[in-house]
Formats: sequence, structure tokens, C-alpha cells
Amino acid sequence: MRKKQWDIPYIVLICVLSAASLIMFVPYLWMLLLSFKSNVEILRDSTSLLPKKPTLQGYHTVVSDAPFMRWFFNSLLTSAIVTAGTLFSSSLAGYIFAKFTFRGKKILFVVILATLMVPFQVVMIPTYLIISKLHLINNLSAIVVPYLVSSFGIYLCKQFVEGIPRDLIEACRIDGAREFRIYLSVIIPQITPAMSALGIFTFMSAWNNYLWPLIVLNEEQKMTVPLALVFFNSHHSVNYNVVMSAAVLIMIPVLIIFLIFQRQFIKGLTMTGIK
Amino acid sequence: MKNERHFQQQVSEMRFVSVSLSPIIAIFLIFAIVPIVWGLVLMFYNYSPLDAHSPFIGFGNFKRMLHDDLFLKSFGNTFKFVLMAIPGNLVLTLALAIGINRVRSRFWRNTFRTLFFLPTIAPLSGSAVVWTVMLRQNDGLFNLILDRLGMPEVNWLSDPQMAMISIVMMTLWADIGYNIVIFMAGLDSIPQMFYEAAELDGAGRWQLFRHITMPLLSRTSVFVVIMTCISYFQMFPQFQIMTNGGPSNGTRVLALDIFDNAFSYMNMGYASSIAFVLLLIILAITLVQIRLGRSQWEY
Repeated sequence: MRKKQWDIPYIVLICVLSAASLIMFVPYLWMLLLSFKSNVEILRDSTSLLPKKPTLQGYHTVVSDAPFMRWFFNSLLTSAIVTAGTLFSSSLAGYIFAKFTFRGKKILFVVILATLMVPFQVVMIPTYLIISKLHLINNLSAIVVPYLVSSFGIYLCKQFVEGIPRDLIEACRIDGAREFRIYLSVIIPQITPAMSALGIFTFMSAWNNYLWPLIVLNEEQKMTVPLALVFFNSHHSVNYNVVMSAAVLIMIPVLIIFLIFQRQFIKGLTMTGIK
Repeated sequence: MKNERHFQQQVSEMRFVSVSLSPIIAIFLIFAIVPIVWGLVLMFYNYSPLDAHSPFIGFGNFKRMLHDDLFLKSFGNTFKFVLMAIPGNLVLTLALAIGINRVRSRFWRNTFRTLFFLPTIAPLSGSAVVWTVMLRQNDGLFNLILDRLGMPEVNWLSDPQMAMISIVMMTLWADIGYNIVIFMAGLDSIPQMFYEAAELDGAGRWQLFRHITMPLLSRTSVFVVIMTCISYFQMFPQFQIMTNGGPSNGTRVLALDIFDNAFSYMNMGYASSIAFVLLLIILAITLVQIRLGRSQWEY
């Protein structure tokens, strides 16, 4: 690109973008400010912006009043298992659909793709009934098992495995490698960009999932982080500092994870178009 | 010898395929195919898990829908939401993407993109709670600002007209980062030489946008509009958390109507038939995408 001087339109552009990104940040700032206020201060001086006497009272209530660490652990555990499961099943099935021939393959793949178009609202009622028939209501596996296989993941991995030359796989077979061995040491390393994108997205959407855990988890001990916030909002609806402290505790880890994996995330987004 | 080896190879391949694919297909069947089929069957029944009997009522649920004011209102509200949010999203994200792409320093380009993208990462339920507090009538941030500016306060979530606008604002905040990233990638893929050639011919900024950016970005735009439409038609957390459909059902949307019918009133058959309506809407949008996708040009 040509080097230009700082002209007026460019300065205006930078100012507009800075102002706009500042506006994007306001909800986070408001959340932080309220979380450090005492409840008395929020109710008495509702018009002041900055906390006069910063306090950790809200955070204290969050941790002491509810099994917050438990919820955090629940979210972490289930999201990690879902991510590992999805990565494994998607890459394995993607490899098979890309490089093997068997009867019914085409139809099966079309069916897998077709399920992508079905909104969650259609399947959530029958899935709830299946989960309750399996006696998994209020069990953490209710939010794991249905998400172990992802149609999109299979589709994505198939696309990427198709780019691997067949000769490479044949050469391994002639060297005497077993099929599963080829999958582990040849296929997986070749599709790591797709895998890392799929992994990050799967983790994030499992972590942030609200509707499905809301349906199948009612016991306090079994809840996940997105439900926790709503729990605080309904139990402490007058104590904004508690609600906002919970919000801070829930959002900060996700934002940190994002900032660390940002590059893979943005790359994955443009590469796959997952939403 | 060679044939035997080939045969062995085929046997081991088949074994690999069947052993590794069966569990995957089994989960896929139980949690994807069976629910779809079951959902399609359920809509012809008056099914409730509380009742011992669930009579087959044919198209009864659909007849009931036509006279159900709550459903009709939800149907209208869903379209209202999408029709308000999509243009807002499109204009904002395209303008911001073009703006950010003009930033000359790579570092600041990435920083701006990150700042707009952050809300996309946060749990939607959390963002909805934070916004609910910001929009509170007496001590919410929005009314504090209006108060300082000497303007009358607004009943953001309790006025039926305003509530939908509030949720649209929240959704735009929570969601624009995604489309900004897609648009920025689309803009990057337009060859720079097109602009240089047009500039040599004396084209102005607006002409460059009108005759190069817009047509060459149309594929990306179609993708963005369709994907955003599909996700907006199914939006749920902010509607449930911020207003729970109120005030006077002004923000009751199909996703919420389905959830309430299924899990609050336990009318699962009826909820399934409403979910089917949502499915039809999404299928229609997908068909539009397939049609448009076919007619677009490549460069």
C-alpha cells in the first residue's frame, strides 16, 4: 500500500473507530464498576458513576453464597469432554467419508449435511424426552452425550482430509501401518488448522450454551456457568453488585482464553464461517 | 500373492470403517435423526408428558395455531425483530469493516477488530443480564446518561414499543463482531489492482465503493445476511432473560413461545408444531441462499 500522510479524513476515521470501540466497551465497564460498589452505595448514590469506597463484598457473596466454583468446574469439565469428543469423532468420520468407499456412504453424508439445516427448537423436545428416558435429567452427561458428534465437524474435516493426497496414505499402508495408526499419525497432523478452529468453536459454544442446560439441568449443584448468572439475577435481583460480580467472574476467563487464542480464532472464523 | 494382499487390505479397511464409524453413527442417529423424526411425528399429537394419553389429532395443532393470539403475536414479533436487526447489523458491520480495513497500521487494525469482536465471545446469557442492569429504569446507565443530558428517561424494557428496540440494540452489540470479521476477510480478497486501475481512471471514493467494493462483496454479503437471518430467527437467551416475552407480549418470539409451550406448559405436541413453522422459515431462507449462491459471479 502507498504510504500516505495523516490527512483529515484519516484522523476522522481513527476518531470514529476509537469512539465506536469505546462504546462497545461500556457494558463491560459498567459491569466492573457496579461489581466494586457496595449495595448501599448503589441504592443511595445511584447517579454517581465511580465507586466511592471500592469493596469486594459482591465477589464475596458470589463465592460464599453459591457453589460457584462447582459451577465453574462443571462448565470446564463438560466443555472439555465435548470438545475432545467432537474433535475425535469429526476427524475420524471425516477421514472415513473422504478416503474410504462403502455402501450407503453418499446417502449417509447427505443426511448428515441435511441435519445442519434443522433448527435446535425442532430437536430439543424429542432430545429432552430421550434424555429423560435414559434417566440423565440433572446429570452432567445430559449436556455432553448429544454434543459428542457434530455434523458440521464431520463436514469440515472431510473437506480438509480430501486435500491430503491418496498416495501418502497408500505409502503408509505399504509400509505396513494399520488404519488407525494412519489416522493418528498422518491424517491428524495434516488437518491441524481445521482441528484447532473446530476445537475453539466447540469449546466456546459448549461453554456459552444456555438453552439446552436450562432444559435438562435444574439441580443447583449440577448447573453450569451461563445458568449461574441467571440464578444470581433472580436470587439477588436487588443486589446488583452480586450479579455484576458474578458476571465479571464468568466473562473474564472466556475473554482471556479468547485473547490468547485470538489468531487461531479469527483465522478459523474466516476459514470455516462457523457461527 | 498380490490379489491376496489386496483382499487382506480390503478386509482391514472394512473392519476399520465399521468399527470406528458405528459408535459415531449410533450417537448421530440417537441424538440427531431420531429427534428430527420424532419431532415431526409429535406435531400431529396432543402430547404432554404429564398425561397418560396423547391422542392423535392430525393437523389439530396447526388449526389451533391459527387462533392462538400468542403464537400469532410471536410470529409477528420474530419477523419484526429480524427486519429491525438485520439491516442494522449489515450497515454497521459493513461500515466498520471498511473503516477498520482502511487503518494503515496492522497492529491497530487487529486491535480494533478484537475490540468489536470481544462481545461475541462472552456468554449471551451474561451479556443479557448486564444489559438488563444497564437498561433499568431508575438507576440504569442509559437513563443516568439521559438524565445528565437533561432528557426525559425512557422505559427501556417496560414500554412495549421500546423493549424490542432495546433487545435489538443488545443483539447488535453482542453480535456485530462476527460479521465484521467476515466482511474484513471479504474486503481483503478483493484484488488491490482493481482499485488502483479505477483510481487511475479518476474514480472517487463513492464510485470505488459503488462499482468495485459492492459488486465484488456481494457473495460475502449474501452469506452474511443468510447466516445472520438463520441465527436471528432462533434467538432465545436475550428474549428470555431481558423481558421474558413482555411487556404485554411485545417481545415474545417463536423460540420463546416454543420453549414456554414445551417446558412451562408441557404442551410438547403443540410446541413441536410451532417448531415446525420455524423449520419451514429456515428452509425457505436456505433455499434462497442456494438460488442466490448459484447466480453469483466469481472473480
